[in-house]
Amino acid sequence: MAAALSSSLTSASSVLFSSSNYPSLPSFSPSQRLCFSHSALSSSYSVSPALFTFPSPRLSATAAVSFSVRAATAAGEKKKVLIVNTNSGGHSIIGFYFAKELLGSGHNVTILTVGEEGSDKMKKPPFNRFSEIVSAGGRTVWGDPPEIGKVLAGETFDVVLDNNGKDLDAVRPVADWAKETGVKQFLFISSAGIYLPTEEPPHVEGDAVKGSAGHVGVEKYMAETFSNWASFRPQYMIGSGNNKDCEEWFFDRIVRNRPVPIPGSGMQLTNISHAKDLSSMLTLAVEKPEAASGNIFNSVSERAVTLDGMAKLCAKAAGLPVEIVHYDPKAIGVDAKKAFPFRNMVQKRSDRATTKPLFLSYEHASEMWIFNVCCCCCCCCCSTSMLSHEQRRKFWDGREPQTCLRI
Amino acid sequence: MARMVSLQQPTTQSHPSFSLLTSSLSDFNGARLQSQLQFKRKLGMQNRGALQVSASSSSNNILIMGGTRFIGIFLSRLLVKEGHQVTLFTRGKAPIAQQLPGESDQDFADFSSKILHLKGDRKDSDFVKTSLAAKGFDVVYDINGREAVEVEPIIEALPNLEQFIYCSSAGVYLKSDLLPHCEVDAVDPKSRHKGKLETESYLESTGVNWTSIRPVYIYGPLNYNPVEEWFFHRLKAGRPIPIPNSGIQMTQLGHVKDLAKAFITVLGNDKASKEVFNISGEKYVTFDGLARACAKAGGFPEPEIIHYNPKEYDFGKKKAFPFRDQHFFASIDKAKHVLGWKPEFDLVEGLTDSYELDFGRGTFRKEADFSTDDIILGKSLVTA
Repeated sequence: MAAALSSSLTSASSVLFSSSNYPSLPSFSPSQRLCFSHSALSSSYSVSPALFTFPSPRLSATAAVSFSVRAATAAGEKKKVLIVNTNSGGHSIIGFYFAKELLGSGHNVTILTVGEEGSDKMKKPPFNRFSEIVSAGGRTVWGDPPEIGKVLAGETFDVVLDNNGKDLDAVRPVADWAKETGVKQFLFISSAGIYLPTEEPPHVEGDAVKGSAGHVGVEKYMAETFSNWASFRPQYMIGSGNNKDCEEWFFDRIVRNRPVPIPGSGMQLTNISHAKDLSSMLTLAVEKPEAASGNIFNSVSERAVTLDGMAKLCAKAAGLPVEIVHYDPKAIGVDAKKAFPFRNMVQKRSDRATTKPLFLSYEHASEMWIFNVCCCCCCCCCSTSMLSHEQRRKFWDGREPQTCLRI
Repeated sequence: MARMVSLQQPTTQSHPSFSLLTSSLSDFNGARLQSQLQFKRKLGMQNRGALQVSASSSSNNILIMGGTRFIGIFLSRLLVKEGHQVTLFTRGKAPIAQQLPGESDQDFADFSSKILHLKGDRKDSDFVKTSLAAKGFDVVYDINGREAVEVEPIIEALPNLEQFIYCSSAGVYLKSDLLPHCEVDAVDPKSRHKGKLETESYLESTGVNWTSIRPVYIYGPLNYNPVEEWFFHRLKAGRPIPIPNSGIQMTQLGHVKDLAKAFITVLGNDKASKEVFNISGEKYVTFDGLARACAKAGGFPEPEIIHYNPKEYDFGKKKAFPFRDQHFFASIDKAKHVLGWKPEFDLVEGLTDSYELDFGRGTFRKEADFSTDDIILGKSLVTA
């Protein structure tokens, strides 16, 4: 079984740092550190390799599913979905990918972006690519959440995703309006940053969260208000069209043959997921509402990566070498927040507060992506640690979803 | 009546004997066995209670290579309880049966009356081959094998072997920036554990029904690897804990009793056929976090942790810290999903179990050696 696996797995480029060390051992040393779309699920749900859990070599591999071509969902029913999307920051990209994926699956999509269509913010990605949503049949509107009833007067939706609010003040108008207008399923993009720090990662759903975090209030309110709700807690998101171009920071240095300065040891672990993977998860929630209902899902990949590893991955994506230089920001007198795109954990260590390594893992759905790394969005505070995703199994009828890790 | 037993160790240091509890069964024999039996119930085996394991038709003639030092001590008891005939292949340096801390006299008597011994040196292939062939075992657990060549005579001696269950190591994984290690990940043919890898390959090549278990760091009472013991010595002495570099290196400990249960779970299990499983604890922990967890387990105050750069020191041949100075942890999701196994002990609970049954009673394998600590602390005092 494992032998079959290693021969059927594709993509030599999926090898990360071990390609030169491949021993020719049978079965359990396949050349890919990866997992792959679950074949049965691919045919019925056309999911792109998702950022789900637990690689399992007993499942056979399939080729990656193209993002833009999708068979109609076996679930059948087409939904009318409203995405309320933030107009800036690392989460902006989520609505963009989700809209496109839903449209690809044949659903009806409206994306309400906060603010005004003419604002300068709309000149940045992903907003400057909204024509892609429109040409796929989606509708783009602008407005403010408290005015949602006016902006979308007379309209009803089956599903609403709030990808905007970070606290109940921001989400309540949307939630209340959704309830009044008969929305059946309410989804929310929360944050992995709300977990209370732990000395023993990974965080799983159900772990203690900060009572003060705005997102927690939203999750509670949703649970009280809707019979069908789900909350998604991502960590760092990447993807082309990202509003925050943090991987550019690495690329800028790599392509110019400049060293990449990383504060601390570079061993800090963090977790990155591709927005496409989160959108697959969201789409599945829409198509399998009963399985999603009442659940909180950590939306991260199953691997963490070190900061050094991130630099190496960027270099590999660019096909160039990389020189990493470690430094102590305090010793040099540099503000690491300005000097480095990710929240720097190193300084916390010297406080008596627990070390809070930030976990980041990198997932990618097709070859040679020029990916965007999301700078931690403001809700993702430094205390997150590695996440795991027990509950996503519910979606998959007991079969483990697979993730693809390729460069 | 208390019995005094001392564990013989090849390191030839004399250790304090540990006296034995006359209390009822330890957790290991009691409640924790329950979950395993419930699993077996699914396979149609009768379960008449935690202690009485049904000896159904699936009772096997089992050989354990080793079995008197750490993992095997717990594993052999579980197997005997399940009604299997269990033989330990050892050189006889350590007693075949030694009463465990917390084990009742009756349980121990029962176990020691049933456990069998095949005395020999596994490096003597001819002897291994002939002696095993004569016995005709159904299942072999290889707990102490390091090199493929040690396994060959076993396979050759037992053409009708139903299952070969091998204790490998997560140490075979190639070091990576992407973690946790999963069973499909690249392995390192140059690692210190390459003998384990070669054994896995060899098993695969023979066509035998094999299962390989890759533990990470194992801990628990009677641990001969100074994992928790290293921290306990320092905590007890009230000394600071010197941890190399940042202390955020992430690792993972797995309790020996959970590992033993995993070994039971794969026995006769089709889903384990020709599969590799990482077995360890549910959660990971940083080096700093581990120091604190050990303190909690032993009821010590929160320790002072000193970080140092190992490159600035010459420790000679001594190891200043018992763990590899890198992230090292593996995903146990495959075992959880495929086998339905999961660890019972969380870290502090498991360390407490180890402390209460071992170090906390005054027993340990290696005497405290603070010489490398003093080198580090001496320098920090100077530079402070």
